[in-house]
Amino acid sequence: MRRLFVLLLALSLGVVSLGAASAQDEKVLVVGLSEDYHSLDPSRAYEPGGSLIHHSVYDTLVTFPSDSVSEIIPNLAESWTTSDDGLVYTFTLRDDVTFSNGDSLTAEDVVFSFNRMKNLKDNPSFLADTIASVEAADDLTFVMTLTQPDPAILAKIIFDAFSVLNADEVRANGGTDAEDAAETDTAEEWLMSHSAGTGPYMVESYDPSVQTVLARNPGYWGEAPYFDRIIIRNLPETSTQKLALEAGDIDIAMDVIADQVPSFASNPNITVFSTQSDTLIFLLMNQNPDIGGPVSDPLVQRAIRYALNYDELRFLSGEGANTPAAMVPIGFAGALDPSEALKQDLDQARALLAEAGYADGFTINLEYPDFNYIGTEFGIVAQKVQADLAQVGITVSLVPQEFQVSLDAYRSGQQGFSQWLWNPDYHDTLDYVEFLPGGVVGNRANWTDENAAAEILELRDAVKTENDPGVRNDLFREIQLYEQQNGPFAPLFQPGVHFAYRSDLQGFAYNGQWRVDLTALYR
Amino acid sequence: MALHKYLARRLLLMIPLLIGISLVSFLISNSIPADPTAANLGERAAADPKIVATFRAKWGLDQPLHIQYLTYMRNLLRGDLGTSIRSHRPIADELRRFLPATIELATAGIAVSVVAGVAFGVISAVWRNRPIDFFVRFISLIGVSAPVFWLALIGLLLLYLRWDIVPGPGRLDPRVVPPPNVTGLYTIDSLLAGQWSTFRNAVEHLILPSLVLGAYSSGLITRITRSSMLEVLSKDYMNTARSKGLKERHVILRHGLRNALIPVVTIIGLSYGSLLSGAVLTETIFAWEGIGRYAYNAARTLDFPAIMGVSMLIAIVFVLMNLIVDLLYYWLDPRLRQG
Repeated sequence: MRRLFVLLLALSLGVVSLGAASAQDEKVLVVGLSEDYHSLDPSRAYEPGGSLIHHSVYDTLVTFPSDSVSEIIPNLAESWTTSDDGLVYTFTLRDDVTFSNGDSLTAEDVVFSFNRMKNLKDNPSFLADTIASVEAADDLTFVMTLTQPDPAILAKIIFDAFSVLNADEVRANGGTDAEDAAETDTAEEWLMSHSAGTGPYMVESYDPSVQTVLARNPGYWGEAPYFDRIIIRNLPETSTQKLALEAGDIDIAMDVIADQVPSFASNPNITVFSTQSDTLIFLLMNQNPDIGGPVSDPLVQRAIRYALNYDELRFLSGEGANTPAAMVPIGFAGALDPSEALKQDLDQARALLAEAGYADGFTINLEYPDFNYIGTEFGIVAQKVQADLAQVGITVSLVPQEFQVSLDAYRSGQQGFSQWLWNPDYHDTLDYVEFLPGGVVGNRANWTDENAAAEILELRDAVKTENDPGVRNDLFREIQLYEQQNGPFAPLFQPGVHFAYRSDLQGFAYNGQWRVDLTALYR
Repeated sequence: MALHKYLARRLLLMIPLLIGISLVSFLISNSIPADPTAANLGERAAADPKIVATFRAKWGLDQPLHIQYLTYMRNLLRGDLGTSIRSHRPIADELRRFLPATIELATAGIAVSVVAGVAFGVISAVWRNRPIDFFVRFISLIGVSAPVFWLALIGLLLLYLRWDIVPGPGRLDPRVVPPPNVTGLYTIDSLLAGQWSTFRNAVEHLILPSLVLGAYSSGLITRITRSSMLEVLSKDYMNTARSKGLKERHVILRHGLRNALIPVVTIIGLSYGSLLSGAVLTETIFAWEGIGRYAYNAARTLDFPAIMGVSMLIAIVFVLMNLIVDLLYYWLDPRLRQG
């Protein structure tokens, strides 16, 4: 026994004294990330974690500036034109682009990538729903024809799923863009440990749930990035991420929560970036009286919007949170200014309830997924909603639910009164038409073409095909003003999103689509 | 009963047990009111009936329950654990990838707790009601009652951030390349490959998580060892041994400890079993991708094949641990060998 003790002691002392890894000349960026991701095949892209990787490894035809999603700029396509009817988009590709294996980019690669993504029938495939056909007019001319005018199409094709892959290389490794790609394509496995893109980096290795290593693409057509390697390390616990950042083992913590922000203030080695996220947290009030009960009444819905204390709700979410004026988040083109948001008005709320025949209030269940989303505790927000509504006589019983259970009920439109969140599928305001009658979220509140007012249906149909930015913004404005008074939703807030990084890191910029462009960072 | 007969009977008994466990975990995972379609498809894909139908057909979710179960069992008999809905990888590969991380951590954790627990327990019993006894009992109380995430975070804060004597989370530093895969245990594989610096890195990374993981069971083992030792120390044969003129150390360790170990072995076996079935909190805080996190993620995303695979694996681990404990009794207690 004693010998074992001595051995263990010697071993542990020896081990400790040998210290950290040797210095390396290589320039390495280490990123700490809490979410897991399961596919590095960009055509199946759907997970936010994967976006960091896709954006470093692949390119899209057009893109956003690194710090905003309000402008569309050239990328692989140096220019494009749109036909007068808004149905045909013709892109002219750059002639100097090569894939990481040295092949030149041609329009055929773009055709393959778009068709493969659509035919895989995976999570992002719906983004191609308005694309009727794609073809290569010549080596550098790519033509995309739509089924109907789609003002959001350029924003959609910026999403990772429209990354352009090297068709020959992917085909050689089991890929296909045929109609039956969902059954016959087997390239995903190869794409887990290789890449076939035109971006500044290549996938060097992927160790599921542990880390992904990206290596510089030596033949990159653009300006070479600063770092030789990028290591994206899974650190599921945010407190561990914080410690690793403070110790200097990682350069960026991607998942800082609001509570941690003040503790970084006194540390000169660490810089924090906070902004409102694109996530919209809202209340849903079912239009179907059998499901929603009293909250299906338009007057009650309006009363609830006036009863909420938006400033205090936002405060609960912590630093960086913001309150949108209606169901279009701040940051999207055409969103109302936050100053136009509804303010709590309890007298108004009580009057509306009396008019609806609920002068003495009523009792209702509030269902919500019992979880913490980027630092926002859903249970605490629900308690605040409960307290606010109690002031106007509405007695709310909280019904926390296991996430998947709640999600099922929410998606099938079975929740009467619930608290949920929505993240944009693509960065165009058109994504928020889903909160209108017949939309994905509208349907969950049983808000349909049959029970909605003609006014909102007309606005919805008009905005869906309007290409003129000025007219679009006017339409979105009218829609949001309508939503403030009518409809089955109440916006609560957009939680803050926080990143912390070592202060010697330069070039940090945030954008709602890919969050941080790792390729632009330098020391 | 002869040992080999006993072993054969115990191993045969595993078969109905595992069938029972597979049935129970299958029924439980299918009876919760949530749908793997919603868990694994995005908002829009889940709203598209065509994609949902393709998804359900692909994963066999459109079949009646008993057919699903029979298909699963038929594949299982051929050694096929199915494919993960979440990652599209074979379950067997995933378990093979994540289990070694847990084995490495659990083994280090149990080693810490056995060494510390037995030593403290003996010390505490021999010097009963002396200051050292109170001190040890206090420490073991902390071990048993401190929440593991608190210990882990305090450990990281002090040993990693403040004093820099252990490395950060993970099984290796980010820049260290894992050794060639033989057993999946980084310590063993790096030795096999002769990569000393990787070995050192892997051992360094094990120190803090194994201390944290071992804290609870070492507290437990201390307490059991102490009470068991106290009982043995009062036995007549201890006096007999002393009166034969044996050295006190020999009396305590050979005559005392060996007889006191039987209940301790039970606790060690069960603790090791539960450490092997994964420690979600420890694994999460230390970014240690093992079976605990795998099970948690499988449950969270209703990845049925993964849930089944991990349940079967944990069941087998427990059954085997129990068997090993029984065999240890056999070795420790001569009466069992004759009886």
